[in-house]
Amino acid sequence: MATQDSPGEAFENVDWDEVDAGGGGGLSGLLIAEVTAYVALLAAFAYDYFVLANESPTIGSWNVKDVEWLFALVLVLMFFHVVVPLVRNRRMTAYYWRQFRKNKVAIASLVYLTVLFFIGTLGPLVWAGPNSTIDFATAYAPPYFLGGDLASTDHFFGTDAQGRHLWHLIVYGMRVSFEIGLIATMLSITIGTVVGAVAAYFGGYVDEVLMRYVDIQQTFPVFILLVLLTYLYGASLLLIILLYGVFSWEGIGRLVRSEALQRREEAYVRAANAAGASRGWVIRRHIIPNVSGTVITAATLAIPTFILGEAALSFLGFGDPSTFSWGRTINAGRSDLDSAWWISTIPGLFLFFTVLAFNFVGDALSDAIDPRR
Amino acid sequence: MSSEPLLQVENLTTHFHTDEGTVRAVDGVSFDVSRGETVCLVGESGSGKSVTSESITRIVDIPPGEIVDGSVRFDGQELTEISEKELRKIRGKRIAHVFQNPQDALNPVYTVGTQIGEVMKIHGTEQDKAARRRRAVDLLDRVGIPDPAARVDNYPHEMSGGMKQRVVIAMALAAQPDLLIADEPTTALDVTIQAQILDLLAELQEEFGMSVLFVTHDLGVVAQIADRVVVMYAGKVMERGGVHDVFDNPGHPYTRALLACLPGEGDAETIGGELPSPLDPPEGCRFAARCPYAVEDCRVGDQPELVPVDGHADHTASCIFHQPDYDRSHIDREVDWESGAGTAAADGGVRGDGA
Repeated sequence: MATQDSPGEAFENVDWDEVDAGGGGGLSGLLIAEVTAYVALLAAFAYDYFVLANESPTIGSWNVKDVEWLFALVLVLMFFHVVVPLVRNRRMTAYYWRQFRKNKVAIASLVYLTVLFFIGTLGPLVWAGPNSTIDFATAYAPPYFLGGDLASTDHFFGTDAQGRHLWHLIVYGMRVSFEIGLIATMLSITIGTVVGAVAAYFGGYVDEVLMRYVDIQQTFPVFILLVLLTYLYGASLLLIILLYGVFSWEGIGRLVRSEALQRREEAYVRAANAAGASRGWVIRRHIIPNVSGTVITAATLAIPTFILGEAALSFLGFGDPSTFSWGRTINAGRSDLDSAWWISTIPGLFLFFTVLAFNFVGDALSDAIDPRR
Repeated sequence: MSSEPLLQVENLTTHFHTDEGTVRAVDGVSFDVSRGETVCLVGESGSGKSVTSESITRIVDIPPGEIVDGSVRFDGQELTEISEKELRKIRGKRIAHVFQNPQDALNPVYTVGTQIGEVMKIHGTEQDKAARRRRAVDLLDRVGIPDPAARVDNYPHEMSGGMKQRVVIAMALAAQPDLLIADEPTTALDVTIQAQILDLLAELQEEFGMSVLFVTHDLGVVAQIADRVVVMYAGKVMERGGVHDVFDNPGHPYTRALLACLPGEGDAETIGGELPSPLDPPEGCRFAARCPYAVEDCRVGDQPELVPVDGHADHTASCIFHQPDYDRSHIDREVDWESGAGTAAADGGVRGDGA
């Protein structure tokens, strides 16, 4: 009886796990693994932040930066709340996979994105930072398949105006793109889902206040704010990601609210109320899991908009000067378009196909999860 | 025999505030449920029986609903005065609900075992996951689900309607409640399954020693399971009493109308007229507008008090013809229920009239 009055933190966490795993046995081991992963990440971050000097590398020659820490956190989160439930609920996963598989373009897109993801996250361990290959003797080298004096297998995709290997720029750009896409999406779907579900379930004034705020935020020009902040404080990738994530959940919030309004009227929500469940419990256990299909689809389609948004910013010269995003490389090669077209074009193609692939995957997912469409 | 009933509902009044005005869904309803007893709330759609059952643990939507007046005493505790938080400890644990439509009452994303375990988890009766699962299997077995050890991992869509209703009942029993409120639990099921579920409820009631408050529009079901009956109409109690008294000697014309509409019992198919507007209920007896026996006195003042029928203190009806000044034989004559109000009143029959 005492536990009713004081549900401990651990107890709350168990619930979250079950929400995502959809039940099943052997929870506690997984929970321990997840908590351990967070603690390890936090400890590594604290060590890097407090012990190591600012510019000294964290692992090998790689100085892990704040965005990369955040990215690692998001990856751990995704592992425990996307990959693990998929593996544990094999039956459901197999069902969705059969639906998803019908869309051949989406399969190709998924393969492309997976390859890109692994090259992007692990590539910087293999290939040195673009600045380390600066060599004016090999500047403007064309891609190997075009031939020419400077063409070399050493820089297969050619080099830019400073002799940076284009492939290195592309690999580092992949990581930036995934960082933007995943972190900002994670932020925006979390906020959007919570706000939408709370607004729908509580209704009344809570709903009114939250949704009016959504209206205000929707009319708020995030892009101009970003440009202004960049102008005032200098650009930083972290700032861009956070602003995109925190100021672009309105759409998901609305979507979740409308979906949750229907779920709220379901008999199982009434049954849960009648069984003595608290409001928080009903939202967590019954409303959010039943809107997750909508959320997943919306999230997949949100990723490319964030990637494009950052590329646009970088192209305009408001990007983070210390990161090599695709937008920045495209912008840098703009003036040499007639003499060295590859500098802009090749990263541009990667950007184009990445955005396209996310859209295809998102479409196929929405078809697989929601058969009404 | 415990002296105090398990549940005592006194003058319960629930209103809904809508754009058109205040809907008086439940208007001063009183009844009680003793330990181990089955009480049926009967009435046609819109009579306020479901709202009554939901007002007991305040699971009625508030707002727009509001419990304006009345008292609900449950095992010595006044439920209308305790906080939402306190009430949550009673819901599910001491008073469980079973709803009408089993198709929707289960969450599609969880296995039935998880959902049965949820009630134990909410109330902390079973902390250990493995123990919850064992109990879920045991409960599924008790509600008559074959191969419960395998079925416990099924998702709701893998079960038939009758099985789902059994699961819903298992969920309700999970915390071993003292009172089970079943709101038309068999209405959405076909007739053979209905009978099975009713038998099951009767069995479980005996086994668990629960009280059951059964909400239904079906007098056939009432005859099968009830110990006592509360007949409701337009938010008011029309008649209350033991099931035999009410069926053998119905005191209120409305009860008689319902019985007459029972297939195989009476010859009527419908009761003429419609339910009065809950926004602006008529003066006098709520049923007067459809009652063939209605006289002038039926249409003035408040709903008549519940008075004993033929001197039985525990069988009461809210009809003026049971009051000392009126002649009961007036409402014993054969009438055509479909023809509507006042058709049998033409020849008087009221003693007070001549004076």
